[in-house]
Amino acid sequence: MELVGHRGGLPTAPPSLDGPGGVTTPVPREGAGAVPTPTGRGAVRPDLEQVFRSAYPRVVAVAARVLGSRDEAEDVAQEVFLAFGRSTVPAGEALGWLSVAAAHTSLNSLRTGRRRATREHAVGGDTVAPDVADAVLALDERRRVRAALARLPRRQAVALVLRHSGLSYAEVAAALDLSPGSVGTTVRRAETALRKELTRHASSE
Amino acid sequence: MRHPSEGTLRRLLDEPVGVADPDRLHVADCATCLSGLAAASQDATAAGTALELPPLGEIDVDAAWHRLSQAEADDDARPEVVPLPARRRWRGALRSPAVAAVGAVALVAGAGAAAAADWLQVFRTERIEAVTITQADLVQLPDLTAYGTVEVVEEPEVRVVADAATAQETSGLELLEVDDLPRGVDDRSTVSVGSQLRAEFTFSAEQAEKAAAAAGEALPPPPAGLDGSRFRLVAGPGIAEVWSAESGLPGLVVARAVAPTAFSSGVPFDTARDYLLSLPGMPAEVARQLRGYSADGTTLPLPVPAGEATSTETEVDGAPATLLRSRDGAFTAVVWVEEGVVTVVAGSLSADEVLSVARGLR
Repeated sequence: MELVGHRGGLPTAPPSLDGPGGVTTPVPREGAGAVPTPTGRGAVRPDLEQVFRSAYPRVVAVAARVLGSRDEAEDVAQEVFLAFGRSTVPAGEALGWLSVAAAHTSLNSLRTGRRRATREHAVGGDTVAPDVADAVLALDERRRVRAALARLPRRQAVALVLRHSGLSYAEVAAALDLSPGSVGTTVRRAETALRKELTRHASSE
Repeated sequence: MRHPSEGTLRRLLDEPVGVADPDRLHVADCATCLSGLAAASQDATAAGTALELPPLGEIDVDAAWHRLSQAEADDDARPEVVPLPARRRWRGALRSPAVAAVGAVALVAGAGAAAAADWLQVFRTERIEAVTITQADLVQLPDLTAYGTVEVVEEPEVRVVADAATAQETSGLELLEVDDLPRGVDDRSTVSVGSQLRAEFTFSAEQAEKAAAAAGEALPPPPAGLDGSRFRLVAGPGIAEVWSAESGLPGLVVARAVAPTAFSSGVPFDTARDYLLSLPGMPAEVARQLRGYSADGTTLPLPVPAGEATSTETEVDGAPATLLRSRDGAFTAVVWVEEGVVTVVAGSLSADEVLSVARGLR
């Protein structure tokens, strides 16, 4: 291979697509001055309870789709609302922000979970009693899906989860800072990639 | 009429009214599109099954609200200035090695520019950002799959190491010492090392032609020898040291990495890059990312998010450097390249503090 070196910045995904930050339009708090302190503790926003009560089940559902477990999903929802409570996300954008944050946080926890699952599999894979074989198969299927999700490009994975959680194309576009036209493309690519990941994984077993 | 894009076909499944009439009419009469639609439908159904909601039962919102209120109360009851134990999970997560790893990964993957942009996000936006940012967010190559195949040959492995000596031994990079920590920055730090990222892109004229056709345009003739050419994109290794602020959040990061490089097996990289950028259907974002591969060996492009940050030229010990400041003042970074190594000093600090740390590195 002829080596022709060119140095330069290898770019990453643009920040606006990486997480809730992309949908956050921080509004300076009254009296906080022009320079809010990110490390200080701000007041909890007054509309937190109202937003929480209306959006909590939906946020849990987004996380549960990724994690496949209600308990883990509720843990994620708590984290997400804690962060939201200190944020200045406009109320009108709250659901999109919370959904993106729930998807990201859940996908993050898959990564650590995946390692754990691989280890468990390696240690205890052959000791399963036959009468729980069905349950194990279902669990295994879920594990495969989660592992596949964790391998998708993050933006695709988030768009996929949001779309299948029932957000409209306009809502997904706003939440991920995509043009509405490109939501379909991103979701389509995610679905293709998911199929390939699941097939590849299955055929390698 | 040109065929509607695969994204339009996908939307047709979910929100037919969101698709323009001419596109809908076209699809109804077009065998190619109908076949594409069927494939999209199959994949969508399979994804729907894979992502099926587990049985949730009844969600007890009152109990959940009580739990959240309790967590908030615990948080408020805490003294303001005392260095914090990792008492809450999400706050704890900010202090975790994963956050330290962000610094290293950002550099390994994105060199100074992208690292700064991503750190910018960590500091600029709400706190959850630091929790949600992961390797997957940071290690992203341009999506070139429509124009050939992309294979990640080696994923960067990021891990926390015990000390500077180990970091140096593993990465071959020297970990510079900070002589004077800014006020409010805890003196305990975490050191991370990231291995090299290698990916290989093989250009395919056939795939590019399809991508062009999907965009309704003809493919410009590729330069001789481009079809089947392979390009290897290499970044890293890198090291990062992260100090917490007294609040427990990341306060300062000093990170260094070998600047990314592109190797070509055939036509020069520049020729391929310029050609790719000229292709119809090339998303603006991918074009921007590819343009980031600068050819002159010293200039580091800095994609600063418009409206979110300002960048000014400065210098660090004689080397030209770029100072980035978020508009809300929450984040500052200085980035420079010397002998093929990118260094970033960043934090929730003032410009003077960041520059003072940068110029004091030994």
